[in-house]
Amino acid sequence: MAPILEVRNLVKNYGSTAAVKGVSFNIEEGEIFSLLGPNGAGKTTTISVLSTLLAPTSGDVRVGGHSVVSEPMKVRNLIGVVPQEIALYDDLTAHENLIFWGQMYNLSGKTLTDRVQQVLQEIELADRAKDRVRTFSGGMKRRVNIGVGLLHRPRLLFMDEPTVGIDPQSRRAILDSVKALNRQGMTVLYTTHYMEEAQELSDRVGIIDHGELIALGTQNELTRQVGENDALVLEVGEGENVRQLCEAAKSIPGVVESDTSGSTLTIIAPEAEEILAPVIVQANALNVKIHSVAIQEPNLEAVFLHLTGRALRD
Amino acid sequence: MKKLIAIIWKDVILRFSSPSEWLFFLILPVVFSVILAGGTGAPVDSRVRLVVTDHAQSPLSAQLIAAIEETNSITADVLPQAEAEEEFEDRQAPAYLIIPAELTSEAALNGGVALDLRLLPNNLNGVMVEQTVNTAIWKVSSALRIAASSVEEAERIRPFESEAQRAAYYDAALQAAQQEWDAAPRRMTTVEASTPDQIDYDPQTNSSAGQMITWVIIPLLGISGSFVYERQIGTLRRMLVTPTRKGLYLFSTILGNVLMAMVQMALLVGFGVWVMNIHWGNSPGALAVLLAATALAAAGIGTAMGAFIKTPGQASGVAIMSGMLMALLGGCWYPIELFPPAIQNASLVLPTRWAMDGILDLALRGQGLQAILPHIGVLMGFALVFFAIGVARFRYE
Repeated sequence: MAPILEVRNLVKNYGSTAAVKGVSFNIEEGEIFSLLGPNGAGKTTTISVLSTLLAPTSGDVRVGGHSVVSEPMKVRNLIGVVPQEIALYDDLTAHENLIFWGQMYNLSGKTLTDRVQQVLQEIELADRAKDRVRTFSGGMKRRVNIGVGLLHRPRLLFMDEPTVGIDPQSRRAILDSVKALNRQGMTVLYTTHYMEEAQELSDRVGIIDHGELIALGTQNELTRQVGENDALVLEVGEGENVRQLCEAAKSIPGVVESDTSGSTLTIIAPEAEEILAPVIVQANALNVKIHSVAIQEPNLEAVFLHLTGRALRD
Repeated sequence: MKKLIAIIWKDVILRFSSPSEWLFFLILPVVFSVILAGGTGAPVDSRVRLVVTDHAQSPLSAQLIAAIEETNSITADVLPQAEAEEEFEDRQAPAYLIIPAELTSEAALNGGVALDLRLLPNNLNGVMVEQTVNTAIWKVSSALRIAASSVEEAERIRPFESEAQRAAYYDAALQAAQQEWDAAPRRMTTVEASTPDQIDYDPQTNSSAGQMITWVIIPLLGISGSFVYERQIGTLRRMLVTPTRKGLYLFSTILGNVLMAMVQMALLVGFGVWVMNIHWGNSPGALAVLLAATALAAAGIGTAMGAFIKTPGQASGVAIMSGMLMALLGGCWYPIELFPPAIQNASLVLPTRWAMDGILDLALRGQGLQAILPHIGVLMGFALVFFAIGVARFRYE
């Protein structure tokens, strides 16, 4: 069966700045595919091109066999988009928002009414349907934002960092709803910079950095790239000493990579237990206070660090 | 078509989601129209008011009152004494004349009856009333004296056979004297201005038309704000990943705003007709076409502004400032003839000037569609040029 999404050598430039540099991948019908990368990696630009919002500088993108350049209307009928920002009318009620966006997806009459009711049930906001979106919490707005993308039952759903800036409970609800949608047969392209979300949701993951797809595969395929290395994750204070500790750790025998992100220091090594003591010694010497220590099995964070020499940044 | 209606309806709900929108849509335009209609010089009676109590109720007192009013500079209100005194004490009239019951021709001839004329102190109008009353008394008593002299002269030539014959002769002489007085050429006329007013100006029509244009163009210029708002909150991007064409979105948004403006203008025209008794001319069709062209021109400018403005705050500020400036210089607040010639010529680049001129041509000068075709043409020209700029430069991102 042909992939529902085919991306071939996609390039998108803004003037002289290359935002996406020759990205290629496919998404098969029924899978959840995550584009994982730090902020500014090119995830939103990629999704904007795939969803026909931006024209590619070069390359080819096909959705359901239709080109996003020459057949954008056919593509738009197949896709749903949940943008990163909450793109709703605050002064309309949840019901009015869904009705309006349903009409923009060519729904009308009983079909529209039924779909709106179903979506309100799915996002668990039926009891608040007549309230203005302005009065909703951030999490509730996020749910309506997702609901709009589901109204016309798209074959392929693009979700661009849908959990940014919301509380853990709403985040959990959104992740569960993505899995539920996938169980119903919907294909999902999910972008995130949260490694945990990509790990939990994805059948396959594409890691993107500086506009390039630097890794692509299932989680097992990707973690194999870093071998059998563990990740030693230390929560420490921030400051110049932490950066010195990061550099010093690289000189400890057995350490493969080391990087800091905020107050987190991640060190990759084949046997994390063996480097723990020297790291603590270095931390004491540099007067860095360690709040917690965790040893993690190989994961996507380690993959990103291995491939880029940097931690996934928030 | 369903999408077009959906976008228009969405814009209507958004615009009126706040009750305060009614303030700008209808209430303030009506209030300002009414205030300015009264405050810019509605026709008033500039004659000085004299309250009169006529205890005589005689033909002679009636002649006296008529002679006072003949001057055209005084209006005499004959009132019962209590009411007249109250008016005078409340300074509603600068002078109060009491005609006593004893006023007869004989008494007037003999100078035996004194009229009671009361004047407000230090009031120039009072002085003018005093002079006018004296003139009227002199005029009425002159006719009496002429009639009396005629009777004396006739009796000297040939005595009357009876008192009735004498009285009849007196009445005939008095009537002749009065006719001569009435036919005498006036030595003085009153004019209210030194130069004739060339401005076609009716405060009610001018203020209603001007306020209508002002309050309609500002929200239409504010279309720029709705474009910027949708761009800022991301709904425009979301719209463009639905199977909805860019052109349909633009067209629907503009059409919706123009239709709302047409409804607003219809309400204000109706208010003018039914409440302010304004006659909008003899061609409602021409007025409708002109107003539609005005709305399109303003919407075109708003669309063009939307291509350059970056934030809703900017859009709001620019729409209000430019709208008010265009209204002021277009003659919406004051007759354009009051401005210096250079400003009058410069204002021809403003759609408000053409809209205002067109409305006044219809309403005040009684012209029809043919006469305002140039106005409509210029307004449509504004619309075409600015829509072209706005659509060509429109930023969806």
